[in-house]
Amino acid sequence: METFGLLFHGLGLALQPMNLLYALIGVTLGTAVGVLPGIGPALTVALLLPVTYQLDPTGSLIMFAGIYYGGMYGGSTTSILLNTPGESASIVTALEGNKMARKGRGGPALATAAIGSFVAGLIATLGLAFISPWMVKFALSLGPADYFALMVLAFVTVSAAFGDSALRGLTALFLGLALGLIGIDLQTGQARLSFGIPDLLDGVEVTTLAVALFAVGEALKIAATPPEGEERIEPVKGSVWMTKQDWARSWKPWLRGTAIGFPIGAMPAGGAEIGTFLSYSTEKALTKHPEEFGNGAIEGVAGPEAANNASAAGTLVPLLTLGLPTSATAAIMLAGFQQFGLQPGPLLFATNAPLVWSLIASLLVANFMLIVLNLPLVGLWVRLLAIPKPWLYAGILTFATLGCIGANPSPVELALLLAFGLLGYGLRRFSYPIAPVVVGLILGPLAEQQLRRALAISQGDPSVLVHSPAAIILYTIAAIALLLPLILRLRGKGAVLKAMQADED
Amino acid sequence: MSGGGASGRPDRGGLVIALLLAILAAVIFFSTRAMPVTAQYTRVGPTTFPYAVAAGLAALAVGTAVSALRGGFPEREPERLAPVLWIVGGLVAQILLLKPLGFSIATGFLFALTARGFGRGPLWVTIPIGVVFSLVVWVIFADVLQLSLPAGPLERLVP
Amino acid sequence: MLLRSLSGVVLAAVLAVPALAANYTLIAPAAPGGGWDQTARTMQTVMQDEGIAGNVQVTNVPGAGGTIGLAQFVNQSKGNPEALIVGGYVMLGAILTNASPVDLTMVTPIARLTGESEVIVVPASSEIQTMADLVTRLKADPGAVSWAGGSAGGTDHIAAGLIAKAVGVDPTKVNYIAYSGGGEALAAILGNQVTVGVSGYGEFESQIEAGTLRALAVSGDARIEGLDAPTLKEAGVDVSLENWRMVAAAPGITPEQEAAITADITKMAQSESWKKALADRGWIDRFQSGEEFRNQLAEDTTATATILKAIGLVK
Repeated sequence: METFGLLFHGLGLALQPMNLLYALIGVTLGTAVGVLPGIGPALTVALLLPVTYQLDPTGSLIMFAGIYYGGMYGGSTTSILLNTPGESASIVTALEGNKMARKGRGGPALATAAIGSFVAGLIATLGLAFISPWMVKFALSLGPADYFALMVLAFVTVSAAFGDSALRGLTALFLGLALGLIGIDLQTGQARLSFGIPDLLDGVEVTTLAVALFAVGEALKIAATPPEGEERIEPVKGSVWMTKQDWARSWKPWLRGTAIGFPIGAMPAGGAEIGTFLSYSTEKALTKHPEEFGNGAIEGVAGPEAANNASAAGTLVPLLTLGLPTSATAAIMLAGFQQFGLQPGPLLFATNAPLVWSLIASLLVANFMLIVLNLPLVGLWVRLLAIPKPWLYAGILTFATLGCIGANPSPVELALLLAFGLLGYGLRRFSYPIAPVVVGLILGPLAEQQLRRALAISQGDPSVLVHSPAAIILYTIAAIALLLPLILRLRGKGAVLKAMQADED
Repeated sequence: MSGGGASGRPDRGGLVIALLLAILAAVIFFSTRAMPVTAQYTRVGPTTFPYAVAAGLAALAVGTAVSALRGGFPEREPERLAPVLWIVGGLVAQILLLKPLGFSIATGFLFALTARGFGRGPLWVTIPIGVVFSLVVWVIFADVLQLSLPAGPLERLVP
Repeated sequence: MLLRSLSGVVLAAVLAVPALAANYTLIAPAAPGGGWDQTARTMQTVMQDEGIAGNVQVTNVPGAGGTIGLAQFVNQSKGNPEALIVGGYVMLGAILTNASPVDLTMVTPIARLTGESEVIVVPASSEIQTMADLVTRLKADPGAVSWAGGSAGGTDHIAAGLIAKAVGVDPTKVNYIAYSGGGEALAAILGNQVTVGVSGYGEFESQIEAGTLRALAVSGDARIEGLDAPTLKEAGVDVSLENWRMVAAAPGITPEQEAAITADITKMAQSESWKKALADRGWIDRFQSGEEFRNQLAEDTTATATILKAIGLVK
């Protein structure tokens, strides 16, 4: 098969010493930030963007992908040992994992999380490799009208379909859309909502918004919340190795988690969380040990962690093949591609095939590195958890502003960082989701441009919007995604959706 | 800010959000109305999307107000204001000091004031720590990684 | 004795180099990674390696097509013989469309460094074979010919407008579809979503070589080596346009200072490492300085203003 050949070629490139080094830096940084509460992979990639423009594109992108995967691994360590999810996709892991750690079974919990992440990462990355060429063929036939439909679907699923309140989800989305309006209109060159401030003519930088909402907003929220007793880091007692019974109870959840997580990540819907929650409820329903759920059931760690990583790989499918980011990290990675003058999308596979395939192959390599980093060396990462909060957040804000200043040392940019930081705090305070704001900022202008391109090409004939079967199907799915939760809520099933709230970073 | 919510009393925080959304919608609407429109091959011009977003925000403002009056917001724990002010102060100090004094001193203030927000002091100890930490960061990113970061008196001492 | 005089010579040489070589601060009015930034970083490396300058500092001031960086440069470096800014053709349009308070007459232009021709392409399957076919269609129904290229008011848009004007079609009737760059436009052209594409040669080069795109014409004065396409003038369309990058010095410097900077830049542009850097990056050497460059700049400025008014982007 052709894919095998391309993948092997990519593997050859990924195994070059320099690229291995980039992958190693990426997974190490990624694990570190995944472990640290309060900073996620999105923030780390955003921070490294201005530094990496002078490196070679392949190496930088390999590093970013390593951070992304590493963040997913590292997050589980924090959830299991600290009961504070390092990144929000690990919330479910904390439910059972922390209970296991309290019972002195922290070792096996970490092991099943790491091996589950490995298995899922491996299968899902291969899935990415084999589905992408097929997606690319499909994507090449899509016109502006189809892309517009695709983005409408993404808006609906990101904001309204999941979470406990469509009102708050949509509000967050519209805040993002409003911010996306700022700047020069691509089609006419006219300035919109820039109020005569030249710095606003280029619009709001995705990285500034993401860093502000995630780092500054999070720091403010943590500082403002009165401490609730003492946070306890559970020590890892005894062997980190799993018993025969642990293996027997883990392998099926790993595979099921992968099967659930990958398609959800690959859909233009977004968020790794949805997959983890679904996997958790699946394992809870299928388990032979229902009494253990809530008290440290190993299935409840194995499944969601696998789903978490599979969904992270899945997110790369729409990003690479359609140029459509469906999570905050993917959005920042898109900015990383664009920094090198690369436009993710179907053509990337034709024009930059070596880059794409070495990126995919390096994900396999990163996966192997991560299992080594996260199992035998787990004790090292645990020490990161012992950094006192004042120094931790002071350091986080130093690096957050450094990234912003490095990209554009203008006072206006820093003022925006502060303003969006306060916005992020307000959103957290009132339980608004964060991800839709970022997605709205990125996809809003793209959706608008595609709509206007479609209408310009047809010289104003609106029927072009529903001309293709793809567009009609996408609108239908969007309508279902919008209406179904509404019906469920009306019939008192809102709690299920609340559990699936998407709030990724 | 009072913890509103389940009691059914109007949630003041929610009403403020509704008001802010309405103001945002109005700003977008009036700013867009002032834009000159040139003829194009499309009926959807540069003003269509802003109007749509403004309309959406206005509708969400109404929805938020209704939700606040019905007590639809989740309950909130009382929060402390002082740490927020310390950190905001740190960010403001950084913005003001960045140009005249360079990256390290400005960011040193941010570092120290943030640590203060999390209860670590005193400032006469933390500011020097922050400045030294930021200078090390500056050397790594500006000298080694060639990022252009504003230099001040301290940075000029670095060969 | 010999040793002492030798060491004296060495010492003198060591002292002499920094005394002769100037230090420069170089503003790249764009974010790290873009074309202007890369130009500035390449200049920095070459000037330091060749000993033309002692120390070159690059500062990024991104935003609004370079006009934010230009404004800062004009306001803060008046009379400073060590301050330089990188710029280019795109700035001419941005100054007009953003109603920038500063323009290129307020700086001291030193030299044009690199340039790139625009190329007009159609998908291989298109019925349009030559530029003449395209002109016929454009004259028949301008709205039915959709052009894909970079952002509105940029070089690609200006090229489309100039072509329309040259063949007697109202430039406001040009159905121009803006993409965030030539790469994004490529997908629309290959997917047959639009009639014709226009962008820098580098954006389309690999697809033209692969045979999936057909080049109808190039916009520069000379043909591109290895590309079987006429210039617009040869194809009977009186348009000549190039997307170039330049370097300028601060306003208010003395003629002697200007001459010294020009000498440094000329030395840089003639050095082997500069030529190697251009080849590595695929840039074309379009060095031009002094009177010749100033005339070219004035000519381009007028032409750009005229066409942007004609398109309706500038009132």
